[in-house]
Amino acid sequence: MRYYLSLAFGLLAMGSAFAQTDYDVAKIPDNLKKDAVMVVRNEESFFDVKGLGSARMDFKVAMTILNKAGEEYSEMAEVYDKFSSIYNIKATLYDATGKKIKDYKSSDIKDQSLISDFSIFEDNRLKLLKFVSVNYPYTIEYSYSQDYNGILYFPSWRDIKGFGVSVEKSSYTIQKAKNYKMRYLTSRNLQTDSVIIGEKVQYKWKSANVAAVASEPLSTGIDNISAWVKASPNQFEYDGSSGNFDNWQNFGSWLYNLNQGGNKLPEATKLMVQNLIKDAKTPKEKIRILYNHLQQNTRYVSVQLGIGGFRPILAEKVAQVNYGDCKALSNYMKALLNEAGIASNLIVIGNDMPSLNPNYSSMGQANHMILCVPMPKDTTFLECTSQYKPMGFVGYSNSDRNVLMVTENGGKIVHTPAYNPKENYQIRKTKITLAEDGTASSEIRSTYGNAQFEENFSMTLMEPVELRKRIIEDSPIPVAELTSYKYLQPDKTVPVLTEEINFKTNPILTKGGDKLFLVVIQINRRESVPLKVENRKTYFAVPFGYNDDDEISYILPKGYNVEFLPKDITITSEFGSYTAKFSVKDNTIVYNRTQTMNNKKYAPEKYGEYVDFYKKIYQADKQKAVLAKTL
Amino acid sequence: MQKNALKFLTLMLCIGVGSLYAQTGQNVKREFKFGKIAPAEFETKVSGADSSASAVKLFDVGECYFEISPSSSGFIYVFERHIRYKILNKNGYDLANFKVELYKSSGSAKEDLNYMDAATYNMVDGKMVTSKLNKDAKFTEEFNKNYVIKKFALPNVKEGSIIEFKYRIKSDFIFTLRGWKFQSSVPTLWSEYNVRIPEYFNYKTNMSGYYQVDHPLHQNVNASYIAGVSSNAVYDKYCVANIPALKDEPYVTTMDDYNPKIEFELRATNFPGDVYHDYNGSWSKIINELAQDENFGAYINKNSYAKSVLPGILKGEKDTLATVKLIFNYVKNNVKWDKHYSKYSDATNPKTLFEKKTGSSGDINLALLSLLKEAKIEAYPVLISTRENGMHPGYPLISAFNNVIAVTQIGNQLYFLDATDKDLPAGMLDYENLSHQGYYMDFKTFNGKWLSTEPSIASEKIFVYNMVLDKEHKLSGKINQYSKGYSALNLRNKYRKTNNETEFIKDLKKDKTGLEVSAYKIDNLDNLDELLSESMDVVIEDNVEEAGNLVYFTPLLFERTKENLFKLEERKFPVDFAYPFKESYRITVNFPEDYEIDKLPKGGIYKLPEENGTFTINYISEGKTLMIKSTINVNKSFYTPEEYFDLKELFKAVVEKQAEQIVFKKKG
Repeated sequence: MRYYLSLAFGLLAMGSAFAQTDYDVAKIPDNLKKDAVMVVRNEESFFDVKGLGSARMDFKVAMTILNKAGEEYSEMAEVYDKFSSIYNIKATLYDATGKKIKDYKSSDIKDQSLISDFSIFEDNRLKLLKFVSVNYPYTIEYSYSQDYNGILYFPSWRDIKGFGVSVEKSSYTIQKAKNYKMRYLTSRNLQTDSVIIGEKVQYKWKSANVAAVASEPLSTGIDNISAWVKASPNQFEYDGSSGNFDNWQNFGSWLYNLNQGGNKLPEATKLMVQNLIKDAKTPKEKIRILYNHLQQNTRYVSVQLGIGGFRPILAEKVAQVNYGDCKALSNYMKALLNEAGIASNLIVIGNDMPSLNPNYSSMGQANHMILCVPMPKDTTFLECTSQYKPMGFVGYSNSDRNVLMVTENGGKIVHTPAYNPKENYQIRKTKITLAEDGTASSEIRSTYGNAQFEENFSMTLMEPVELRKRIIEDSPIPVAELTSYKYLQPDKTVPVLTEEINFKTNPILTKGGDKLFLVVIQINRRESVPLKVENRKTYFAVPFGYNDDDEISYILPKGYNVEFLPKDITITSEFGSYTAKFSVKDNTIVYNRTQTMNNKKYAPEKYGEYVDFYKKIYQADKQKAVLAKTL
Repeated sequence: MQKNALKFLTLMLCIGVGSLYAQTGQNVKREFKFGKIAPAEFETKVSGADSSASAVKLFDVGECYFEISPSSSGFIYVFERHIRYKILNKNGYDLANFKVELYKSSGSAKEDLNYMDAATYNMVDGKMVTSKLNKDAKFTEEFNKNYVIKKFALPNVKEGSIIEFKYRIKSDFIFTLRGWKFQSSVPTLWSEYNVRIPEYFNYKTNMSGYYQVDHPLHQNVNASYIAGVSSNAVYDKYCVANIPALKDEPYVTTMDDYNPKIEFELRATNFPGDVYHDYNGSWSKIINELAQDENFGAYINKNSYAKSVLPGILKGEKDTLATVKLIFNYVKNNVKWDKHYSKYSDATNPKTLFEKKTGSSGDINLALLSLLKEAKIEAYPVLISTRENGMHPGYPLISAFNNVIAVTQIGNQLYFLDATDKDLPAGMLDYENLSHQGYYMDFKTFNGKWLSTEPSIASEKIFVYNMVLDKEHKLSGKINQYSKGYSALNLRNKYRKTNNETEFIKDLKKDKTGLEVSAYKIDNLDNLDELLSESMDVVIEDNVEEAGNLVYFTPLLFERTKENLFKLEERKFPVDFAYPFKESYRITVNFPEDYEIDKLPKGGIYKLPEENGTFTINYISEGKTLMIKSTINVNKSFYTPEEYFDLKELFKAVVEKQAEQIVFKKKG
């Protein structure tokens, strides 16, 4: 992932002072203990907006860790940087009866740098304290204040922090001047209380007595079962910059202006561009040449400091060093195209994040930047941090979502290309020649497209020894001897990968009395069924839509014939479709299997049907043919 | 036990040197000058197993020498390194982002990056173009109060670029010097380390790894440290040419154990006009030092806490083993391990640990020793190098240990004690501590010796299925499972980490399609010395199939070993499981009256040479009852690369035999 916002993580909201200090675990209602690993006893966040560029958060939380499974919550890990210092930290540990065990000293709190693994440098730091208790349950309590010097977005708030968490009480208050403009989004049915106190307005949201939900597979998140608030300023000031976020158009204008003058190129680079494209006839060809140049000559290096987390490094600079983060590389590519007379726009995008909400503009919905080259017919999107992606292929984590296009007239919401299940294909033909001892020689030929191309692309970059190991380890058919293998991207401009693997197998026919048994689907077999979930609460989805198409031919050992062959099967549901076809001709069994999965989001109550769908596939996939000796 | 440890040591010391890369024998004088790149270096190619390496290390040259610090007037050491790579493909780009870690103590002692230079070189139209490291591509990360990380990003890196880094560190920490690793994740053409140690210092050197390192120079040279005083230094050169990339393998302690490397620890100082100072030069010296160390021996000796709590813990108990267990349990139940290994305590009195209720392995196990001592139990500290920390070389080297446990002998039996995990019974060590041996010390006699830490009890799991097969192809009945040793430890850990039993059963069913569980019961969860047993009523669907008038199933059901653990064609390094293990299965199925067994598969026994591993499977039928027994027994924790093929064959037999079907014919 190539993120570009330096601190776009939804910081937990933070609060005021506690009245209650009775943390006796016996006082937790039973309904809050059920399925819970941790109970939020009380959480209070109080965010006081003092001006355009200044605010203070007072945060206080008490959590009861019920058992070992809840231990991940037994810490304070708060992020800060030079624009948001943390002070006044207090932390206390209580036993199960609510008796204080100890107050932590400031020397117990660790201070360390926090640099994401994709960056080489950032200015984020962490205040870290691990609470430790020998016995369960126990209660931890901590509080701190944080001063914001510059505000891009307000801390967000959510009552339950995840599966297995229940809440006794939690609240979030934002205090601001009457004339200070802000916007907010809340979960459905969450009540907003507002009071006017002199020149100030307070908005308050609260939640109480929320039971825990046990972890659910394939969940798309806990948005529909939790109470939450997201809030954003309209006007803002941050690290010497100011702007207006009240809609995406203004947001885009701010980014456009931030980048003014960043598009210049050194003379030598201009010459190089002209030289590269001198024989190119069409704009498309020019784009291809310049994108290829970018991929061959630059690498991704991320440094995120203050406003530099939002403003691309000058194109001139990138031309000198040939590296940069997603913003720098996208902006540099834009400059190269500009020199070739092709207009393009920077795109702010949430990589592996939900679509931008068209009706609510705020910082924190995006983490990445790509480039868009608008064309009358086929508008092209370019992922500039990848040295390998074919031109125009933005990858699954960028596809099919609302993004912000930055134009001279401000921001505009556009949509990235979608790859449908049929396009994310895996087409495979396998020939298996069986010997009487049950071993076989196997020839596999596969083609992968789009999302499946992406999934398997790393195979082309592996060293031969490692690749060999990997193929043997991953092969669903036990490999006795790997004779040859090849991964190829036949056309570098198209997201299609081919695979050829030839090997001798360990026995795949199993004996049973005088018969031989053959699991007809040897590759791509479904080996388990997802567990049922009683009374599911959250929505679910498969990770991506795809289409798998297998044909396997088995050439039988001499002297054997087919005694039993499974029947053809077709299964269809709203989740996808499946077919299996079996036929025998002479001494060959031909098996055809197709599976197409949709990538929609499904309502919780549909999960039972989803499990049934997979159960049918599982049963179909484990069918066996029986071979018998001809007399 | 002792014999075992010795055998193991011998094995580790006679590590062979096998390599496809013959020493080239080019004794050309090599020149390593920053910025001076020979055109031929751009032509560097790699071949064989490394033919598609992402980069090649052209050279890696280190210098280590001493000087007098102008500020402290004491000796400091200087470490210089000069590395040059050729980038072969885009996977090698990460090498152009370089970092140097510097340590500082809470006092004024620290390390400084005294000099740094770096550049990228590209061939453009037959001419070399140099791009120097930009000022704004240097970063300082204040990681925490002890570490600073300096980071650098080189410009203009492409496929075919040559990059180089040269830097110098000055360090106040002379007890251990920076060592040198000769192998890395990319192939290396040349690696050398030049060490000049003043005559006043004596260092122990530890060379280890699976590759021969040359030591062409060991000589006295003139060295002047203080103006006007002439003195000598000992100059050693270590080098290696053409060493392939080091690649990961599973079932190892840590890959670092296989990387050829050299490490240094101070043995003694001998300054003119001063007495000879021995720093841990011999085992007896190490034992003496530790016996007095306020974070080791003196910590054990502080008995105020032990005195105050022992009467309450022991309540007059006289039996030795019972006393040990009471104290061991007290420590386990009153402090929690903070997941850090240390051979020292952090505090200077065990009292602090019991107040804080949490501490490192050193705090906890030394406090345990303190309590045992006060209870007049003969117990001793045992120094350990954890698996992650790597193999200890075997000779007196304190810095190569990173952990401490306790040992006591009762009757003829040794009990290792590690109080960092509640679920570890007396006598058992966890996986990380199973590095085959530990160094035991007696602070009364100042004697010590290596003890084998090989587990005396194998890890074992027993599965007992009692099933009835009905005509709807449903199996119903009871499953009993018994776990011993590491199987039990792992099961206890898993059970405790799960929120509740419902979640635990969910997890148990996860990969067992068709299984429905009721009346799940687990016994002896908290009685660590008893057999951990589970029982459940089950109904199993979807596992018995029909084809025409045949009905068939694989009798080991969910417990069948489906895949060979050892699939790879070759193995360079030993297989180190940490502990031996055994699994046995006993499955009984009653089948319907009108079913006939078509023909039972053949049973069999498969053995490794010297019974170092066995696999058996047997089928018995009587009337309408079928019984299947199978065992897998891996008798050793450590197998040589040669034995790898035997292991692989053994597991091949397991997979094949356990996959065989039981076939019934329906009558009529």
